[in-house]
Amino acid sequence: MMRARARQGSAAVAWRAVVCGVLVVGAMRASADVASDRSAAIVVFPKVVVDISSSPPQIAPPARTDTLIRISNVSDQAISLRCFWTDATPRCVGGVGSCVSDPVSCAPPGVCVPQWQETDFVVHLTAGQPVAWLASRGAVPCAESPRGVPCFPAIPGNLPPNRVLPVPEDPFVGELRCIAVDRNDVPVERNALQGQAEIVRSSDAPLSLDVAAYNAIGIPAYLGANDKDNTLVMGGVCVGGTRAQLPCTSPADCPGGRCPAEYGGCPNLLVLDHFFDGAVDPVSKKTVTTDLTLIPCTTDYLTQAPVTTPVQFLVFNEFEQRFSTSRSVTCFSELKISNIDTRTSERSLFSAAVAGTLTGQTRIRGVADGHPDHGHTLLGLAEEFRQDGGSAAFNLHFHGSRPQSDFIYLP
Amino acid sequence: MGRARGVRAVAVGAALFGMVGWVAPGRADVTTERSASILVFPKLMFDSTGLLSDGTSVDTVIQISNTSNSMVFAHCFYLNATPVDASRPVGPSNPAQWQEVDFEIVLTKQQPTHWVLSSGRLDDPTDNRSCKDDCSTAGFDPGRIPPAGSDPFIGELRCIEVDSSGAPISGNHLKGEATLVWGDAQASKYNAIGILGLTDSNNGDSVLCLGGGGGDNCPTGAEYNACPNVLTLNHFAELASDPVVEALDHGDSSNVTTELTLVPCTQDFENQVAPPVVVQFLITNEFEAQFSTSTTVTCWGNFRLNTIGNVGRILEVGTLGSRFAQTRMVPATPEDGGVLGVAEEFHEVREDGSVATGRAALNLFGDGARPLGDVITLPGAF
Repeated sequence: MMRARARQGSAAVAWRAVVCGVLVVGAMRASADVASDRSAAIVVFPKVVVDISSSPPQIAPPARTDTLIRISNVSDQAISLRCFWTDATPRCVGGVGSCVSDPVSCAPPGVCVPQWQETDFVVHLTAGQPVAWLASRGAVPCAESPRGVPCFPAIPGNLPPNRVLPVPEDPFVGELRCIAVDRNDVPVERNALQGQAEIVRSSDAPLSLDVAAYNAIGIPAYLGANDKDNTLVMGGVCVGGTRAQLPCTSPADCPGGRCPAEYGGCPNLLVLDHFFDGAVDPVSKKTVTTDLTLIPCTTDYLTQAPVTTPVQFLVFNEFEQRFSTSRSVTCFSELKISNIDTRTSERSLFSAAVAGTLTGQTRIRGVADGHPDHGHTLLGLAEEFRQDGGSAAFNLHFHGSRPQSDFIYLP
Repeated sequence: MGRARGVRAVAVGAALFGMVGWVAPGRADVTTERSASILVFPKLMFDSTGLLSDGTSVDTVIQISNTSNSMVFAHCFYLNATPVDASRPVGPSNPAQWQEVDFEIVLTKQQPTHWVLSSGRLDDPTDNRSCKDDCSTAGFDPGRIPPAGSDPFIGELRCIEVDSSGAPISGNHLKGEATLVWGDAQASKYNAIGILGLTDSNNGDSVLCLGGGGGDNCPTGAEYNACPNVLTLNHFAELASDPVVEALDHGDSSNVTTELTLVPCTQDFENQVAPPVVVQFLITNEFEAQFSTSTTVTCWGNFRLNTIGNVGRILEVGTLGSRFAQTRMVPATPEDGGVLGVAEEFHEVREDGSVATGRAALNLFGDGARPLGDVITLPGAF
């Protein structure tokens, strides 16, 4: 039964009561969990891809590719976001060739150098407002926007119009992080953001369309814990006091001591269930491969100094047989899983021919070093490709937490 | 008058929810990314002829893993929601079957396993072929898994962690994914929804109490976390154009549609009773304008968004007036059970008579905890 808004005064009151109930209880029970299925104060899009101008397309699988970013404010008050693109597109420096399509094509003396360059912008959202933009184009108020391109129809009063920067280059590979802030760009403890990304690949001849969608990873704020500075602290344990070294979410958890955590801690382990690369999908009979994107939870936008994290991979096949390998991740890593341990996919322990079963479970752990200025936890995303078919993105599972904090340093 | 009572009930429920939120032992930690004791796969499809899906065949690959270092047992239930006559929509003269079939699986330490909905999986230790041929049956078989009970099959899978005697336990050792693989090798993948078990209160009987403060059926209180009070779906308005396709100037036209699958948290596998849940939808467009509508979910519901509240097609782009929207879903009254769900988007581009379709599944967002709880009733001992 449809009802017009004009007849909805009482219903709106009831709805607001429900929403307020949710927010109040949510506030009382600030969850400690980084999650992609809950509203949060920081949303992380680990994988943003643009490749619309190069001919032929450089990013595999070859198609004209763009990413649609969608963010919603689920609260009944306006909110602002401070968003950061991180450009991780590798460039062939000192040589000729493309590092995007294949690092080997950047012939010596050229060397592939990732840029790790951030650019940031601010977006204002009205109460309950969903917005979207294309990574390749950014977005402007609808009055200035070309027809058909996502734009901003409404913004809160007394604020400058929204203007989302497009990604700085094409092709582009990288991440997007958005942080809830107030009108003065100061981080706020409002778990009101939800995000999704859709990586859309389109070709003309033959006509094809492929969509891979995922939920942004949300990092919740702890209420009453934010000191409003430009160093955002994610997770941690009591420093001093009677509960020293025990997990905390607010100053009240640490009598006589200090709780450093302002936001939920990033997970200790990531868990990926996957087809081994080269396995034949039992339904489509097509070969399946999986791309794994990993980014450090700690990010320094102030000094642009990326953290290098050694990553351990523990792999189980369907016979309970165990394998392991490791690799370092700096700033951003996107790899076919069968290229984690070797460039020869057929010899990888992530290949179906080596693992001997169709599917596996991989546990992914960033190795901690106890450094006080950064943690070594990771966030990530998987995307599954079927040969001559479509792709599907899905979020990784999380496990546990760490005593060490992670940090986001804002400019 | 009835409407006013309903509104008051929602408001009172919300207030009640706010109060109960302080004391309810079940937390709102239904999750799509942490190991849990109950896994819910809201949307499974097998349709070899494309009868239910515009001529495109579809099947589902189910993946479940044990994330612990001990052997894990699970009791799984297929719920077949295919209409009796699959060629016609569900209605009073063509009810859904709501037939459950259950089986058990065993996973060794950290073992991943998989099966295909259409064929299930044999328990055959001799079928470990090399991956150079076809290793789809290689690995320790988790048990005999029956195939889908019909072709076509639409419905749900629910797996509950149990001990070796079959008693439910709160181990929180299971994670899962489902991949809908279409005839054109397009795939939609989502994480199973996990319901975390509470370690101190699970009495191991056949009545599983999800949240709530207890009652006749739940003498030890909540045994599992509560289902969310509000689900949120961020989506395209129905039949809006795909902005990427438009920006690339591909094709003559494009549109996006979204299919929403909702299942009640409460299930009674013992008595095969499926209480209906009235779900209220609050839709906010990009101009902050709000609309609302409602629908009833009995056992399993699968809707194109423009068929919800079908008077005026409220979720279509022409009605909403913007390309994107946020929809919040809540049971109409606290007495109604909670719902869980998943969404699947279909992006279509047309050119010179040919059509290409991209598909993607998305987990929904959940907020809050249902104050009155839900109950899953398992078949009792014979």
